[in-house]
Amino acid sequence: MSSPPVTGPATVPEHRGGPGPARFRPRRTPPAGTVRPSRRGVLSHWRQYLAISPFYLIFIGFSFFPVLYSLYLAFQRYDGLGTKQFVGLQQFEFLWNDPVFWLSIRNTLVIWVLSTVPTLFGALVLATLLHSVRRFKGFYRIALYVPNVTSIVAVAIFFGAVFSNNFGLVNAILGTVGISPVPWLSNPWLIKLVIALLMTWMWTGYNMIIYLAGLQAIPTSIYEAAKMDGAGPVRTFFQITIPIMRPIILFTVIISTINGLQSFSEPQVLFASNAANQNVGGPGQAGLTTLLYFYQSAFLNNDYGYGAAIVWAFFVLIMVLVVINWRLVQRGRKS
Amino acid sequence: MDLSRRGFLQAAALTAAASGLTVACGGGSGSGGTKNGKSLTMWYWGGALSDKVVAEAKAHFGSQTKLTAASIGGDFKQKLTTTLAAGSSVPDITGIKGEDIASFLPNAGRFLDLNDLGFKKISSQYLDWKTKLAQTEDGKQIGFPIDIGPTALFYRADLFRKAGLPTDPDKVAAEAGTWDDYFALGSELKKAVPGTYLINNMGSVFNIAVGQGTKRFIDENNHFIGDQDHIRAAWTTAVRAYKLGIDARINDQTWNAAIGKNLGTEVGAAWHALDIEQAAPHTKGKWRVCATPGGPANQGGSYLALPKQCRNPEEAFKIISWILSPANNARGFTDAAIFPASPASYAMPAMTGPDAFFGGQKIIEVFGPAAKAIPVSYEAPADAAVMAPYFTELTNIEAKGKKPDAAWKDAVGQAKQIARRQGVN
Repeated sequence: MSSPPVTGPATVPEHRGGPGPARFRPRRTPPAGTVRPSRRGVLSHWRQYLAISPFYLIFIGFSFFPVLYSLYLAFQRYDGLGTKQFVGLQQFEFLWNDPVFWLSIRNTLVIWVLSTVPTLFGALVLATLLHSVRRFKGFYRIALYVPNVTSIVAVAIFFGAVFSNNFGLVNAILGTVGISPVPWLSNPWLIKLVIALLMTWMWTGYNMIIYLAGLQAIPTSIYEAAKMDGAGPVRTFFQITIPIMRPIILFTVIISTINGLQSFSEPQVLFASNAANQNVGGPGQAGLTTLLYFYQSAFLNNDYGYGAAIVWAFFVLIMVLVVINWRLVQRGRKS
Repeated sequence: MDLSRRGFLQAAALTAAASGLTVACGGGSGSGGTKNGKSLTMWYWGGALSDKVVAEAKAHFGSQTKLTAASIGGDFKQKLTTTLAAGSSVPDITGIKGEDIASFLPNAGRFLDLNDLGFKKISSQYLDWKTKLAQTEDGKQIGFPIDIGPTALFYRADLFRKAGLPTDPDKVAAEAGTWDDYFALGSELKKAVPGTYLINNMGSVFNIAVGQGTKRFIDENNHFIGDQDHIRAAWTTAVRAYKLGIDARINDQTWNAAIGKNLGTEVGAAWHALDIEQAAPHTKGKWRVCATPGGPANQGGSYLALPKQCRNPEEAFKIISWILSPANNARGFTDAAIFPASPASYAMPAMTGPDAFFGGQKIIEVFGPAAKAIPVSYEAPADAAVMAPYFTELTNIEAKGKKPDAAWKDAVGQAKQIARRQGVN
């Protein structure tokens, strides 16, 4: 095939029975005074829309439809196989009076705070350090990013073995210096700490890469100016780096909020081996996050309506937290 | 430039169309399938059936039918529920775990009635109480019993000897006739061999104590009875072990490590022998088995079922009744410690032989009588869901030192709420 010359409309050959290629042109050199109908404008880009359609089709089929369907399910009683029975707001009434639901919300929030704060702070510090590193840059970046692409199940099994109460590596090491075994996986707070540690380990590298990209966009002249004005590295970090990075930090905070509140695999894998009572999030239900409780209700107790009610209530909570985060991070900017 | 972009778009469109076509084809061959019934798929999970017997079934029926057996990992019930709900790629034969069978009964219409296919004629070969658990109120049989889980007391003869306790199964059974006697034995064991425990956690005791009764958490009239004396008694038994300090309080993944070290006994079903054997191979020959304190109970034990979509019900039923014939069941016991639901198997040489892991003891002498003496109880569809909070609260006692009375109150409150959510009044 040969490319039609793009010098003018008159020279366009009749290609494939229509002025197809010419449709690209108006965007670059719109003929003065001609306003195209917008509908035709949309249609004229059908190839581009077709090209991006696989994502949207898959998204509609496997994400958007299930989301809407779960909203419908939240008002039904449904065991997954039988007939659905409309129960109105009854599922939400159960939810309101269910202490386990509120416990799961508390667990999720505690784990989220325990993991997000060190993750984001650690990522920022690491990114700053890595930004000034001269040698082995690629190695450090990969090494710090690898935990994020490691299978979460593998990591959780590994953490479960390392922090095992009676036969774990951590307790063995503590034992050699005379510290008695710590009940990592049965004390309610330590359970949360272990889960938070696991999430921190997995997500620090991811956020670090984002911060690093942001840091590299800051012109060095600003740092040179700060240096000349006598600012040390710590002061530069807090008064130059952090303010300039604010939009990027906002992005990571929101992403971390959404991700961190959805912790599921970590407690699920860590405490899955309790065969008699699976998926309750370990001793004292201390690792029972909201999503795990949803999974337990819907897929183990076959109570799909209640499960749907749990996730929709939780969705509202996440939205509230995202808005609060947004406000908090944006506040400093206006003053 | 323009050309390459157009070329790219065309290529992209073609690729998208082609991949769409591939997906469509893949889906077609998976779900549409052949209606001639020449190939059958069977879902089970590792250890549900003897792999040797399954392999032989493939060869035995190979001339008429191609049997494809898939060992499904992970949460079997959830995967089966999803597939049944989707209605495509449904297996022709599927396993159903004993603890899940009750929750499938309300949807018996998703399965074929095995009585129509000839199960009625052979049902007398299988334990009546086990068959009934897979039967709807109007007599529809959805499950073909694979195995049962008669419980027994597993104990370490070497540790018992060290503690000066009897080691002979009959004598241990006599000394540990009731839970109280058994706990007394455990206290002695703990005193004589410091660091050993009698039970792994309270949940296991509670589970078996409930199973020793004829009533569970919901009665036939769909009433919640989990706050009544029979459950309270099982709870109290479990808590007593905790108070005596003979409870190892294992609630994490350390059971595997502990079983060969400091657990002196285990109360569990016949299939639990395999767990012990795999987790602690070095303790071979040191274990013995005797009757469960307080009488036998059943724990687990699965079924095979034929979903409604089965492509050749007659052939599928022939296959499962061959795999689960008393003779093949006996071999399943030898291969994988699957305890048959067919009493005729118990007298077969494959089952009456001595077991090296148990020091040459003929363990059928313990499990056989237990299997026939298991009390029949009604298990409601929501039973497993309603039972969960009791386990949770027992774990709370062990992990957080929660007061047992407060834990009982919370467990009952939670169970009542779950029962209400599941439509129990």
